[in-house]
Amino acid sequence: MTVEFIQLLVVGLVTGCVYALSATGLVVTYTTSGIFNFAHGAIGMLGAFTYWQLTVAWGWPAWVALPVVLLVLAPLFGGAVERVLVRPLHGASVDVTLVITLGLLLFLLGAANYIWDPATSRVLPELFKGGGTSIAGVNLSRQQILIVVMAIVVALALRTLFSRTRIGIAMRGVVDDPDLCAMSGASPARIQQLSWAIGAALASLAGILIAPKVGLSSLQLTLLVINGYAAALFGRLKSLPRTAVGGILLGILVEMYPVYISPHVPGFSNTAGELTKAVPMIFLGVLLLFLPSARLRTSTAAGRIAPTVPGLRQSLVGGVALVVGAVFLTGLLSSDNLGIATSVVVLAIALLSLVLLTGYSGQTSLFVLTFVGLGAWAMGHSGHSVLGLLWGALLAGAAGALVALATARLRGLYLALATFAFAKGMDEAFFYFHLGSGQQLEIKRFQLLGLDTQSASTFFLLCALVLAVASVGVLAVRRGRWGRQLTALNDSPAACATLGVNTTITKVVVFTAAAAMAGFAGGLYGSSRGIVTNNDFAVLGSLALLLAVRVGGINTITGAIFGALTITMFPEIQKHVHGLPDKLQLAYLLTGLAAVSVGRDPDGLGGQFSKLGHYLRGLRTPPPSASGAPDFEEARLVHS
Amino acid sequence: MSTPSQTVDLETYVPHVDHTYDPRDPEVALYVDDVSVRFGGVQAVSSATIAALAGQVTGLIGPNGAGKTTTFNVITGLESPTNGRVWLANNDVSSLPPYKRARRGLARTFQRLEVFGTLTARDNILAAAEFRRSWAHDHSDPRQVADELIERVGLGHVQHERVDMLPTGLARLVELGRGLATRPTVLLLDEPGSGLDTAESEALGDLLIELAQEGIAVLVVEHDVDLVMRVCNRIHVLDFGRIICVGYPKDVQADPAVQAAYLGAED
Repeated sequence: MTVEFIQLLVVGLVTGCVYALSATGLVVTYTTSGIFNFAHGAIGMLGAFTYWQLTVAWGWPAWVALPVVLLVLAPLFGGAVERVLVRPLHGASVDVTLVITLGLLLFLLGAANYIWDPATSRVLPELFKGGGTSIAGVNLSRQQILIVVMAIVVALALRTLFSRTRIGIAMRGVVDDPDLCAMSGASPARIQQLSWAIGAALASLAGILIAPKVGLSSLQLTLLVINGYAAALFGRLKSLPRTAVGGILLGILVEMYPVYISPHVPGFSNTAGELTKAVPMIFLGVLLLFLPSARLRTSTAAGRIAPTVPGLRQSLVGGVALVVGAVFLTGLLSSDNLGIATSVVVLAIALLSLVLLTGYSGQTSLFVLTFVGLGAWAMGHSGHSVLGLLWGALLAGAAGALVALATARLRGLYLALATFAFAKGMDEAFFYFHLGSGQQLEIKRFQLLGLDTQSASTFFLLCALVLAVASVGVLAVRRGRWGRQLTALNDSPAACATLGVNTTITKVVVFTAAAAMAGFAGGLYGSSRGIVTNNDFAVLGSLALLLAVRVGGINTITGAIFGALTITMFPEIQKHVHGLPDKLQLAYLLTGLAAVSVGRDPDGLGGQFSKLGHYLRGLRTPPPSASGAPDFEEARLVHS
Repeated sequence: MSTPSQTVDLETYVPHVDHTYDPRDPEVALYVDDVSVRFGGVQAVSSATIAALAGQVTGLIGPNGAGKTTTFNVITGLESPTNGRVWLANNDVSSLPPYKRARRGLARTFQRLEVFGTLTARDNILAAAEFRRSWAHDHSDPRQVADELIERVGLGHVQHERVDMLPTGLARLVELGRGLATRPTVLLLDEPGSGLDTAESEALGDLLIELAQEGIAVLVVEHDVDLVMRVCNRIHVLDFGRIICVGYPKDVQADPAVQAAYLGAED
């Protein structure tokens, strides 16, 4: 073994310890509260920034600031999150907990960018500068030694907590049966709160330790701590020792990859080193592939009103109204504003795919922009002809089919994680390569039957027409045989299977259709923007869009339009409303806030209005589901 | 748990099985062959053998937690047994996924409802009829099938209501209609009578007898003793995952082991 190998092994071990710390926090909260905290990375980021604020900006000594952040602020924050957001979610479906924690992620990211302007560069010094030792030619900095020591201390502390202390044993008990645990005198709520406090502290520790190495960027830190997801999954979200091993393996893999593996990747030997950032997501994806098959279970539809589906006549009227409205707008808006309106319309077409995939069929998707991006990329490489739209749809559809086949056995949280891993992996591996680091793809408008789409108004009208047709089509699908099948799959996959439905095929078909639709929209998106970069298709954008559509009502056309409108308009509002600081990220802040507020209702705002309508008409509210499904009414009472 | 009035040592008790069948017997539509299920440290089902005959209603009764629903899950393929096999009409289907078993004529209802809650009662049954048509490639008209079944299970008055707005008893009938829409040869019913009033329960009993007369093998899990005694041709009794008794209704009722199981469980 060469010295270089051992050196890399050591560096990998250190990186792995950070992943392990982060993942451990995630697993502790998951096992005690049953909620996978997608905001874990954002909490770690917040911890690191707070620590920077105390030490660098305010000049506190590290030995004061570190305990203040890790033992006071982070646990308080974690406990508060549990009290305000998590506790009312008791018994909620995976889908709801996903929306709430993703909403928190976006909100924290927006808040951090507001408080700490991302344009200013900040450096978080290592806890112990320089120094270090060299053993047999292998260098070890003090920071590296400290990280390993910290990881060992945390591991021992958690071990003692869970095996020796009353509350720790109760924490293990609460997973198995919260009610039984409550009867034996332990308060499940308190235990859960403690676990969130611990989770936040561990996330912050990971953030503080890794920030000196990767830089103090809110986005990078959030995504980096997210790499801990892969380690957590290695421990099947249950076992802390396995999680630690997973973290260390991942760390070593990440450090070894550019030196020992990428030169041997056929066809990529020169550039594959840049794939390093995608390694954790590939690791995560592979782990997901080898998860044992999820047993078919009910997905819970309790509290869902599922707004009435408009009939053919009503949807045709809606479609015509949309086109007429668009014609009206072309006379009203300047060409700049028409460009913005076009973005809204094109995005709405892409988001209709979410209505189909997530709204109707209940398949969680955190990667809508990935398919939009593939569509745009195909458009840019097909001579700017209208055929590019079809190529885009085909390419995205094929990718969607592949993902569906690979994830056929996954549902709920694991499906969400898989789509997230795919989106982030594509970010790092595909989009970064082809559209990243200063590259950009130029996409010209196409010719269609002699129609000149160069003009902003013609292109806008064309897109509005596509949106109208697509909306009418999606509604027709929903009313028809296939729509019944998708709804059935959403309401009870188990029942579908016992009625002879091959749920895998249904899933592959709907993923393919939705991805193709997003890909088609991607071609239009590219043509409308003229130039696209990798930032247009980042995974966080997909999250924000999913949340925005959820807020608007994910099983309605209005939900898709609402989502497109809010996400496109927030930056515009910001530019034009006097007095709003331009670093205020309205899109993240408000979408996150809205998601955590109405995310409990699977029907979003549409559902709220629908419920209000039912209430006004004196209809009874739906009875709590007989299947012991989550009781949303109760959750809401606690919340309000 | 207090001591039952009649003590029967379940460990050594040998059921007097006078109802043994061969899975290859053409009359046996469903044969559960020595099935055991273990969840971690819990033995949910242990060496259960159950035969359901075409044209008969077979009862599967037992105290709560006896393993009845688990047995249904094993039969339909939603759960894998630790041991044992499942036969459908002379074929070993143990390695088939749930949807393939359904296509071989197996249908079921669920104790914990698995309705398509956001669809109407009629659309639930229509969807099932459409599923059947898509895999059986027959020329049935799903709409006609749905209308007939709505009438048959007695849901005409609520057919346009969303199922999650219906009372549990009616939702169970939706599941029954949905199962029938696939034209099964074996029908598993998990507590179809719970949530129904006396008149509705009586109508259900009539329907079950009728279905059996049409040649379907009906296997029913039910707590309503009157219903079970009235409709079942034969009854299997499960307790702590073991079949402790198989027999005709009146024999089962008089069986000391069955009485012990029920009395023991009620305390």
